[in-house]
Amino acid sequence: MADTELKQKIEELIAANPVLLFMKGTPEMPRCGFSMRVVQVLDSLDVEYGAIDVLPALQPLREVTAEISDWQTFPQLYVNGELLGGADIIEEMFDSGELAEALGVEQPEAAPAAAAPPAQSPPLQIE
Amino acid sequence: MPADLAEIERMIEAALPGAAVEVIDETGSGDHLRATVSAAQFEGLSRLDQHRLVKAAVKQRFDDGTIHALSLKTGLPG
Repeated sequence: MADTELKQKIEELIAANPVLLFMKGTPEMPRCGFSMRVVQVLDSLDVEYGAIDVLPALQPLREVTAEISDWQTFPQLYVNGELLGGADIIEEMFDSGELAEALGVEQPEAAPAAAAPPAQSPPLQIE
Repeated sequence: MPADLAEIERMIEAALPGAAVEVIDETGSGDHLRATVSAAQFEGLSRLDQHRLVKAAVKQRFDDGTIHALSLKTGLPG
């Protein structure tokens, strides 16, 4: 059972932030390769987003997001209140242009070059 | 204990009979895996739901700490 108070707080944050990233570390200093990849994608789309570092409360936040959206690994990107995906899905959606569309921004030219290919950027830490 | 890649493949195949499954050790550490899964059962499902199905199939190995991360690429066969 997730902590109800924390769950309510998280639901409020998701509702209040049109683009919200739950990640390990901060956009300036990601602490996980997967989180870093999503930050790179969002930065290359030049979109404003809120970011929450999950590391200080990893297990409680896993329980909360499991209840809210049936997803327990981080990063998680929420757009307009809905979970869009983790690193794999976000990168796929970025490459196909679906992410730019979901965010209502222009797809940058030569987009795939902006995100480092996974082979060159192995995860630094557990997802 | 590094993950047994063949076992992970079997767990996914058991949950999605008929699926084409390939699991590789992405970093050589044995706990960051990458799986490519094509399954007819994905028809009509969002990518999120496709990933949920695969992750649920191997949940036991996440819970016991064998796997730390599983990158996924899912899709329909063909």
